[in-house]
Order: sequence, then structure tokens, then C-alpha cells
Amino acid sequence: MVKIICEGGDDHSFLQLILNDLQENKLIPEEITSFGSYIQPMGGKSSLLDKEKYTTINKQINKKIKKVLFIFDCDFEDDDKKCGNLENSERCIDNLITELNWKIEIDYYIFDKNLDYFIIDTLKEKDTFLSCEKCLDLKKLNKNRKLLSSIYKELYPKPPYDFTHKNFDELKQKLTKLFN
Amino acid sequence: MSNHLLEYIEIKDFKCFKDFKAEGFKRVNLIGGKNNVGKTAFMEACYVNTYSYKSENTISMAISDIIMIRYNQTFFQDLFLGKGIEYVGNRIINKIKEFDSNEIYSNIQNIICSFEKEDLGVRDKKNRIKSFVGSSKISDDKLESSYGFIIENGLEDKIDKIIKLVDSNIKSFRIINSEPKCNFLNNPKFINIHELGDGLLRYISIIFSLFICQKSFLFIDEIENGIHYSKLDKLWEIILTISKEQTVQVFATTHSKECIESYARVSKKLEEEQKIDKDDVCFIELGRNDNVLESITYNYEEVISQITDHQDLRGW
Repeated sequence: MVKIICEGGDDHSFLQLILNDLQENKLIPEEITSFGSYIQPMGGKSSLLDKEKYTTINKQINKKIKKVLFIFDCDFEDDDKKCGNLENSERCIDNLITELNWKIEIDYYIFDKNLDYFIIDTLKEKDTFLSCEKCLDLKKLNKNRKLLSSIYKELYPKPPYDFTHKNFDELKQKLTKLFN
Repeated sequence: MSNHLLEYIEIKDFKCFKDFKAEGFKRVNLIGGKNNVGKTAFMEACYVNTYSYKSENTISMAISDIIMIRYNQTFFQDLFLGKGIEYVGNRIINKIKEFDSNEIYSNIQNIICSFEKEDLGVRDKKNRIKSFVGSSKISDDKLESSYGFIIENGLEDKIDKIIKLVDSNIKSFRIINSEPKCNFLNNPKFINIHELGDGLLRYISIIFSLFICQKSFLFIDEIENGIHYSKLDKLWEIILTISKEQTVQVFATTHSKECIESYARVSKKLEEEQKIDKDDVCFIELGRNDNVLESITYNYEEVISQITDHQDLRGW
């Protein structure tokens, strides 16, 4: 079995959408069902990067779990001097992988800034949303673009993400590799 | 935990097990895994192990019990088809060989004698307090035998109250002229429970066993068999609370996601209500790697978090 280890509920929902899209495009075997059970939310980035939170998963490694893909946000250095921004996030996940010492195939994917930034960047209406953000000065309230992506999700309860956008390519490749 | 509980097991050369270890068992242990992975065999090994403190002879008795529970229907069918005691005896020997244990072979003859002498399994079990509830329907004979224990110990009213938790319309359960019957609040006439479906019979056999196995062990194969998913919470509530009250260690197998979720949900509720302890709950997941059987044991917190996170614990 494979496992995707992510931060929380939003990632969980988003990943299920992209996995369904990959399966519809026959990039993931159709016999794989219930993607939810392949995704393990850890309850935030700090938990995801804390080796003490892996007691249960440690028991499953090499028995039930044979491949792992970590997916999380790099966030901002201002908020987290140790693991904020892309470079620090890479160092923290590399340290975690070393500490966990799992003798299985492990990979990771880090969202530039965060999932909300990532999604807004791929929208066809990106410019409109960015104008909205600027006009309402949303970044002042929340620099993570959570508000902007929430507006998008509110407008489109079943978000029509454009998974053909090039920004998704690397993530799609890693997910496809994981399930094959 | 009380010292009579089985907390770990090592299984070597037993059925599908070559060299297997599992630990961390608690009072109530639910075992999950894919079809034919070895869930029942694991439970059978635990059952046999609970007899191991006595002698090889008691181990053989335990194995003969299992064989009769798992295969008796087909043995009796063969007898009725006129295939004769010799044919059935050979089949029993073949089944015993599946257990693949050298220590057991020395006692095969004793087992066969016991089968023949006592008419294929109708054996005095007065001193036997461990119970193995098979996946198939319990016979009226066995239910009647269990009911005898309930009567002797004055537990009829208590049993009626527990059965009411399953179906609030039922007033009482009795065995009348060797037939299991119950009557209803709005109808005093006793009706044969076979007319009411297999679920109630399954419930009653489990409830009886929880009392019969006081300070001992209860093994339930495919626990969800015949039970509607909406009644699983009630079943777990009964098992978790009565097993604690009666000091019974329970092992049960399932491959039902609903059953595992119900187990986690009810355990959490009862723990929050302080009716059980965290130390009463365990889940054992079985799977195979390169055809070698392995296990993962989850404690209370791990079961709850895995189910809350929608993880699949039905084996690999």
C-alpha cells in the first residue's frame, strides 16, 4: 500500500480531486478505490515535520506501507524561521526523512507558498481574483490567500480546477509514480 | 489488566503461520484483514494457546473443538449422505493435519476416539469455560446447553434486559421444549426466534457466551455475520461493557469497514462515559508480505485516530 502524508483537511479534499482526475485519465489503475484511505492528514505542518507524531505510521511502514509521498506547504519564513519558505522546508523534510529511517521509497512535493496560492495561480480567472485581492486588500488580512481561495470555493462548491495547467504537472507526475 | 488475559502470542508452524509474533492485546480485540489472510486461524491459535498451560491433551481438545465448530456442518452432511464414519473420520484427520504441528500429531488418535465415542462432538463440556462462536448459525442444542448455564445462575432477567437493548419490543427469551423462543411487549405468545431472522439468534449466542466465559476467553468469528449495520453499535456496547463486568477477554474477527468503525465509535463513547478504559481496546490488522503473515496492533488512541482520519484498517 502507498500513503500520501499531508497537512490537513483542505489538502485531503484537494488531493482526492486530483487523484480522481488522474484516474479518469487512466494514469492511476482503476482498481484503486477510496483514495481517502491513502491520504493521512497530520494536523498541520509542524506535526507533519515532527518525527514524534509518526508512532502509528512507524508500525505500518514496511508491513502495510511500501511507498510514501509527503505533500505540504512551504509557507513563509516570517512565520516560521526554521521550516518556513521553500529552502527551509526542504531541509526540514530531509531531516525528518533521515530521522524516520524508513527503508522504503519516499518522495515529497512542496507547494510554493501554500495550497491556496498554488490553486489561485492555476485558475483561468486568476487575474480577476488577484484584482479582487488587491482591491479589498485581502493580503493585509491574510497573506496565505486563504480568503481568496475560500471565495473561489464558495463561488464554486465543486471547484473546476484546471488540472491540465502546467503548475500541476510535477505533482501529477509524483502522484502517478506513487500509484504505479 | 487481570493476569488471566492473553497479552501476546508467538505462533510457529501452525496452519498458515510459520514464525509469527503479535503483542499488545487488551480486553476486547478486534481482528481485521482481507479474505483468507488468516484471521480465523490467528484466533484459533489464540484459542488453542489458552489451553496450553495444561497439557498436550487439552491442546488437542481445543483443536478438536475448532474443527467441529468450523467444519461440523459438512461432516454431518456427509454422514447424512451415507458416506459413513470412516470417511468422516478421514476428513477429520485431514483437517487436523492442516494444523501442521508435530506436538499435535501424537494426540490425533485421542481426538478421533473422542469423536467416535461421543458421537461426533456431543461431549460433556461442564468444565469448559472458553467459547468459540463460529461464523455460522448456532445450533439449538448448543443454545439450549448455554441456556442451562443462564438458568442455573439466575441470569434470565438480566439476559432479558440485555436482549431488550437490541430489540426494545422483546419482553423475554426462553427455551421451551428445546426451542428458543421469545415473546413481545404487545404479544405474550412465545414465538420461535428462527422466525425472526438470524440476527437475533447471533446476538443471543454472543450475549450468552459473554456470561458463560466469565473470567475467561471468548472468540467470535466474523462477528458482523447476520447483524444489520445499524445494530452494530449496540452489539459493541454490550460486548465492551459486559466483557469488562464479567472479566472476559474477547477476540473477534471482521472484514467489515462498518464493523470496525462501529467498534471505534462505541469504544470512544464508552471511554468518555468512563464505562470502559483505554486499556480495554485493541485492534489487530493482519496482512501478507511475500506470503508471510504479519500483524500491526493498534491501541485505543491509534484505533480512534485512524478511524477518524478515514484510514482503512481492513488489512493489506
